[in-house]
Amino acid sequence: MDKSTSLVVRKRIATLFFLFTLVFFLLLLRIFWVQFVKGAELAEKAMQNRMRDIPVEAKRGIIYDRNGHELAISVSVDSIYAIPAEVKSSHREREIADKLARVLAMDEEKVYNRITSNTSFVWIKRQVDPETTKKLREMDLPGIGFTEESRRFYPKGSLASHVLGISGIDNTGLEGIDYYYNDLVGGTKGRIIIEHDAANRPIPEATHKYIPPQDGANLILTIDETIQYIVERELDKVFKERKAKAAAVIVMDPHTGEILAMASRPTFDPNNYNDYPSSNRRNFAINDVYEPGSTMKIITAAMALEEGVVSPQRKFFCPGYVKVGRETIGCSNRKAHGSQTFAEVVANSCNVGFVEVGLEIGLDRYYKYINNFGFGKPTGIDLPGEAKGILVPRERAMQIDLATMSIGQANAVTPLQLITAVSAVANGGNLMQPHLVKSIIDKDGKVIKKVEPKVVRKVISPETARELCLILEGVVQNGTGKNAYIEGYKVAGKTGTAQKISPTGGYLPNEYVASFIGFAPADNPRLSCIVVVDAPQGYPYYGGWVAAPVFREIMKDALRYLEVPLYKAEEDNNARIEKVVVPDIVNLPLGEAIGIITSRGLNAKVIGTGNVVWKQAPKAQTKVDKGTQIIVYLSSLPADKGEGEITVPDLEGKSMREVAKILSDLGLHLMPEGYGLAYEQSPEPGKIVTAGSTIKVKFQPVGE
Amino acid sequence: MELKRLKFIDKSFVFAWALLMALGLVVLFSASSGMASDSYFYVKKQLAAIFIGLLLAFFIMQYDYTQFSRYSWILYGIAVVMLLAVLVLGQEVRGTTGWISIGPLPPVQPAEFTKVLVILAFADFINRRKSELHSLKGIMLCLLYIGVPFGLIMLQPDLGTGLVYIAFTLVMLLIAGANPRIIWTLVLGALTAAFIMIWMHFQFGTWLPLEDYQIKRLLAFIDPYNDGQGGRGFGWNTIQSLIAIGSGGLTGKGLFNGTQVQLNFLPEHHTDFIYAVIGEELGFIGAAIVIILYGVLILRSVYISYSARDLYGTLVVAGISAMWLFHVFENIGMSIGIMPITGIPLPFVSYGGSSMLTNIVAVGLILSVNIRGKKIVF
Repeated sequence: MDKSTSLVVRKRIATLFFLFTLVFFLLLLRIFWVQFVKGAELAEKAMQNRMRDIPVEAKRGIIYDRNGHELAISVSVDSIYAIPAEVKSSHREREIADKLARVLAMDEEKVYNRITSNTSFVWIKRQVDPETTKKLREMDLPGIGFTEESRRFYPKGSLASHVLGISGIDNTGLEGIDYYYNDLVGGTKGRIIIEHDAANRPIPEATHKYIPPQDGANLILTIDETIQYIVERELDKVFKERKAKAAAVIVMDPHTGEILAMASRPTFDPNNYNDYPSSNRRNFAINDVYEPGSTMKIITAAMALEEGVVSPQRKFFCPGYVKVGRETIGCSNRKAHGSQTFAEVVANSCNVGFVEVGLEIGLDRYYKYINNFGFGKPTGIDLPGEAKGILVPRERAMQIDLATMSIGQANAVTPLQLITAVSAVANGGNLMQPHLVKSIIDKDGKVIKKVEPKVVRKVISPETARELCLILEGVVQNGTGKNAYIEGYKVAGKTGTAQKISPTGGYLPNEYVASFIGFAPADNPRLSCIVVVDAPQGYPYYGGWVAAPVFREIMKDALRYLEVPLYKAEEDNNARIEKVVVPDIVNLPLGEAIGIITSRGLNAKVIGTGNVVWKQAPKAQTKVDKGTQIIVYLSSLPADKGEGEITVPDLEGKSMREVAKILSDLGLHLMPEGYGLAYEQSPEPGKIVTAGSTIKVKFQPVGE
Repeated sequence: MELKRLKFIDKSFVFAWALLMALGLVVLFSASSGMASDSYFYVKKQLAAIFIGLLLAFFIMQYDYTQFSRYSWILYGIAVVMLLAVLVLGQEVRGTTGWISIGPLPPVQPAEFTKVLVILAFADFINRRKSELHSLKGIMLCLLYIGVPFGLIMLQPDLGTGLVYIAFTLVMLLIAGANPRIIWTLVLGALTAAFIMIWMHFQFGTWLPLEDYQIKRLLAFIDPYNDGQGGRGFGWNTIQSLIAIGSGGLTGKGLFNGTQVQLNFLPEHHTDFIYAVIGEELGFIGAAIVIILYGVLILRSVYISYSARDLYGTLVVAGISAMWLFHVFENIGMSIGIMPITGIPLPFVSYGGSSMLTNIVAVGLILSVNIRGKKIVF
C-alpha cells in the first residue's frame, strides 16, 4: 500500500464521507419541511404576491321606517381609477393627464402624478356624476377604468338625522344606525383580482377574476316617519322660539321599548354634514346627560309607593322649605304648599314633600331602585356613544345627597334613560330594552332577524304602577302639568325645571333645563314621550311652560295619527252630543237668523245693536255640538262699517280652547296668559278692532 | 495514450454529473427564457462555456495530474496575480469588485478560477509538509499560504468564495493528517473572534472588514420579515425563495409556470437562486433529485479521493469535493432559508461561464485522478 493513503488519511476520508452524507440528509429534510409542512401557507403567499385587488363597493342596505318608508338609501355613482402600469406603457401619460384634468376640473400635475405613481391601482376621483364619466368613457383612455360605487343618500334630509347617522366616502357608516349596524348594512366588498408581476405590471391574458360585492342587509327601524316628522316640527318650533342651546325629544312605545321618534337639536343634514359644526351631530337624547329635576320625582314616587313608604292619601305639610342637616331645600320660589296629600305633593311638585319621602326611603333602597330603573349605566340602545349618566357614588352619598336626589338633583341622566324608566311605570312595571331596529331583512325581503321586545327586569308591581299613573294623571289635570292636557285623552306626566350646573361648580343663576315627561292614554299608554329643552331663553323657563306644550302638540297629533280612541268621560256619555252644521246667517234680519239658529238646536247670543246680522261666530258650515252658542253680531249700518272691523266678543268664563276658537273664527289673535278660564281681557268686549288684532286674555284656574 | 484507463472511469460520478448538467440547462432555459428577447440567449452562452470546459476537461483528464505538482508555484502565482488584477482593474458590481474584462473577451470572475488553481497548489504545499502538520507552526505556515489569496478575495469583498476557501482548506488539512485539536481550536477561536468583533461593532462601533449592510444582509435569513422594511429589504430574497420552493409542492408548477420565477418576484433566479426555480417548477421530486445527484457526485468524489494513487491526488479531489459540497450547501441552504445570502453559484446549474468552466475543469481533474487511481476491494 502506498504510504500516502495511510491509515489516518483513510479514516479521515471515511469520516468526511459520513459528514458529507449528513449534509445531504439535512438539505433533504429541510426541503421536505418547506414544501410539505409549510407548503400550503407559502403557496397562499405566492398567490397574494401576484394578485392585485381592485375593490368593488357593496351597496349599503336601505333603512326603512316601521311602515316601509325609506329613510336612507344608496345611490350608484361612478368612481374613476387608473392602473399606472398600463398608463405608462401607453406612453401617452401627458395626454391622458391633460384630458382627465380638463373633464374632471382637476389640477393636471396632480392627475399626472397620480396616474404615473408607482402603485398597481390608484383612484383619480371618486363619486363622480354619470355625465362626466360618460364623457371619459367615450375618450377610451388606456389604463383608466371605472367602477360603480354607491353613496349613501338620506332622502328626508335632516329627518331623524341623529338616529340615522352619517356615512363616509368609502361607504362605511361613521355615526348613528349606519355606524352601529355597519357590518350588516355595509355588505361585503367585491373585488376584481388581476394577476401582476413583481413590477406591478398586469399580465396580459392572466387570471382576471370578478368577485361580485354582496349588498348590505336592509333595516326596518322602530321609527315612525310621521311621528318623527311631528316631533321634528315641534322641536324646531320650540328650539327657534326659545333660542335654546339644545333640545331633545324621544317618543317610545312603553310596552315594547320601541323608539317611535327621536330627535335632537341642534341638527344637521346627513347628506352635507360637513356644512354643519360637528357639535351639531351630538345626539342630546342619548349622548349627553342633564340633571332631570322634578321629572325624576316620578321615580322617587314609584319606589315610595312600591315600598309602602307612602300612600296617595298620606298627608304632608309644606312650610315652603325643609332643613336637611345644615342645608335648606325650598320649594320653587319658597312657596308654601301647606297641607296636602301625597298625590297633591306630586301634582304640585312639592320639594319639601319629596325630600321627606326620600329620607324615609333611605339610601339603600333608593340606590337599589335607581339602579333597577337603569340609571347610571347605558340602556344598551342600538346606537353608538350612549352616555351612562352620573350618579352620586353610593359609598359617598350622605343624607343631603339623598334629599337632593329625591327631587332630581345631584344625579345626571340621559333623556333616554328617563323615558325608559318612566315607560316602566306606564306599562305596569317592566323596564324594557329600548331599541331602534325592528327587523333586519335581506335584499329579497327575507327576514334575517326580528327584534322582539325584551324585558330587562321588573321594577315595580302593576298595582304601584297603576296608582302612580293616576297620580301623574292628576299632575296634568290640575297640577304643574296642565299645559300638557289634551282634550279627549287622559294624559299622565310630570314637569321638570332644573338649574344647570356651572362648569366651575354650583348652579348657573339663569340657565335652566325645562323638561316634560309623560304618557297617554294614562290608563292604557300607547305612547310615552320626553321633551327636554336646554337653556330656553326668556320667561317663563319652567318645564310646564316650555316643554309641556311641546309634549301636548306632539302627543295630540301622534295619538290622532295612530287613531287612538278618544276618551269619553262618563258625564259626557248620557249627553250623546249631536253635531250640527252652523247655518249661514250673515245679512239676514235678526229675527230670521235667530229662528234658523234655534231650529237647528243651537243657542243665539246677540251682540251689538241693529236688526241685520253683520257677522257670525262660529262661521257658517262649521260643525259644532248641539246647544252651542252662536254669537250674532248686529249692525245698524251693515254696509258702511269699515271692512275688516270687528267687535271684540266677551270671553269671560270660557276655556282657553273656546276662546281660541272664537277669536280665530273672528280673525283675531289670542295672546293667552295663565291657564284655566278667562277672567280678564283687553281690549274689552264691544270694542271695535281691525281684523288680525291681538286680544290679550288672562286665564285663571277654577277655584283660585 | 492513456485512453485505455478510461475503463476505470467512475460511471456513477460521470452519470450524476451529466444528469446535473442536463437538468441545469433545462431549468436555466425555463428561468431565463423571458429575460432576453432571444429566449435562448442565456442557454447559448452557458452552452459555450460548457463546450470550452469540456474541451479543457478532456485534455486535463488525459494529462497526468501529478505533473501539476511541478508547477505549483506558477499556478499559485497566476491565482494571486489574477486576484490582484481584479482589485486593480475590476468592475464594481453591487458593492464588490469581482469582474474583469480583458479585451474582447466576455467579463470573467477570476475568483472562480483561482479556487481550482489554489486547490492544486495547496495540495502540493501540504503534501510536501505533511510531517509538520502535527505542529501549530506547520499549520500556521499552511494558513499563511492560503491567507494570501484568501485575503485578496476578502478585499473584493467576496465573502462566499472566501468561505469556500476556508471549507476546502480545513478539509484538505484534516485529511492530510493535521492535528485535529489545533484545527478545531483555531476554528473555534476564529468563530469566537468573529462573534466578538461583530458584537463590538454593533455595541461600540469598532471597525469591521464588512460594511453594515453586508452584515445585515447576512443575518436577514434568520428572520427575513424583520429586515426593517417588512420583508421588502434584505429579507426579500429569502422570503421570495421560500415562497417559490414552498408553493412548488410535490410535483411543482411545471417548467415555465413558476409564478415566483416568471413574474420576477424571485430575484437572480437564473444564477444564485436557480435552486428555487427547481423547487417551484419541478416540486419536491425535482428538488430532491438534484440533491441526490449532488450526493452521488460528491460522495463518489470522496471515494475517488480515497482510492487515489497518492496523497497529492487524494488532497486535490478532497479539496474539490469540499468546494462543491460547500457550494451546494450554501447555495441550496440560502434558497431554503437555513444559510445567509452570499452570492455563490450552484455548480453545473447556475448561469455563469466562469463558474461552469471552473467546475468542469475540476471534473477533468477528478477524472484524471480517478482513472489513475487504484482499484480497492473492500
